[in-house]
Amino acid sequence: MTQQAGIVVLIDVDAAVESKTLLGNTYLVDNTGVPGCQEEGTEALVTDMQSSHWIDGSQADEQILNWLLYALGSLPPTLPRNYRSDQVRRHERVGHNDATQPEPGHDESAGQGARVRRRGSGVPGRALLDVHGRVLPETADGSHLAHSRPAPVLVDITGEAVDLKIIYPALYGSPDRSTEGWYWSATVDTSRPGTYAYTMTVELRELMHIDGGWHWMPHRMTFDAAIRITSKPCLNGFTGAGIGVLPLPVVESPPEPFPEIVAEPFAEPLVEPLPVL
Amino acid sequence: MDDDQTQDEPRPPVMITCVVDCVGALATGSLHGNLHLFDTNGRRGSVGLGTEQLHTRVDEGDELLWTVMSMECEAHVAIDDVIVDPSVCVPEKHLFPHTGVPYWRATVLRPIDGLIPYQLSLGVGTRTVPMTTETSSPALAGGGAQ
Repeated sequence: MTQQAGIVVLIDVDAAVESKTLLGNTYLVDNTGVPGCQEEGTEALVTDMQSSHWIDGSQADEQILNWLLYALGSLPPTLPRNYRSDQVRRHERVGHNDATQPEPGHDESAGQGARVRRRGSGVPGRALLDVHGRVLPETADGSHLAHSRPAPVLVDITGEAVDLKIIYPALYGSPDRSTEGWYWSATVDTSRPGTYAYTMTVELRELMHIDGGWHWMPHRMTFDAAIRITSKPCLNGFTGAGIGVLPLPVVESPPEPFPEIVAEPFAEPLVEPLPVL
Repeated sequence: MDDDQTQDEPRPPVMITCVVDCVGALATGSLHGNLHLFDTNGRRGSVGLGTEQLHTRVDEGDELLWTVMSMECEAHVAIDDVIVDPSVCVPEKHLFPHTGVPYWRATVLRPIDGLIPYQLSLGVGTRTVPMTTETSSPALAGGGAQ
């Protein structure tokens, strides 16, 4: 199996919602860029899928393609998976964002852990964090401009590449923290070289303050990308040559033989013989 | 949205996201071609999104945040330093509350005329020496710089 191909999709959610299109607001990069793919960093990415054929042209292996979607202006995906709910619970317990301040209602005489639970939303899933990881107030104020944008949700992958059974995309569960537990992946039939387009349907969420509460307004949009399957033969990643045994490293001059080790004779033991009784 | 409006309205922090192809960077020994920069200021005039030559449109008083992520979730990458003219801004390392996950933060201290290039120094994989972008790579762009 060659290295799995990963496509990172970054979306400027605010701009996409404002302009009602993903065109010009979506950026795709993949990790197949070393051999060369097209339009990397743009919305017109053509992912290069190669190195899955034997030297005689027969298919050597399927390829795996993963998509990871992120929003510009969000907390980084390297944070723990439950970070938002943990922060909200911590905030509701303590009542403020500053961990260095004493907790209101904390009674030293009552022993460690005696705290007064403050009134909050009560539903961590509804609470909002800003891009610093701080819990935002429930009332609408200017601080909500800095709210962490939620990751776009990939709803479906359709189009030519799917209809022609070039890719078999599906949604998978994952324990990995950077994918929020879900990610889209596809097995790629690399036996049919060519360029194939596919369409991604994405749902964005816009934060709106309606009737005294915060709500996510969904916006569903699509954009197109493509994969290009080549029939290049498999290469050895270490040598850049064909498949085979790994060559021994070239040595300019034969190594000098190890010096002969001459064992020194053991010294006579300094032990006096035992007296004969 | 014109500049007059943006000057009067409160502005959210400008988030600059670095996406690193760690495998490519380690294989080639360089960030060139393996670093993609994005920001949230495209509507205000940032250009070069998705490339190493991101020019982030900023104004005096803007708050800037740099974060980094790897294309492969198993690979490690972290911002080691953000090197920029200290008269423009002084980036400092912060941690997200109750985590060891860092981000870099700065405030634009003065109006910028033209481009202020800066360098990103990134720790990639198990390399002990960080990788640094070229001097001509990303920049902060003032009004009229585009």
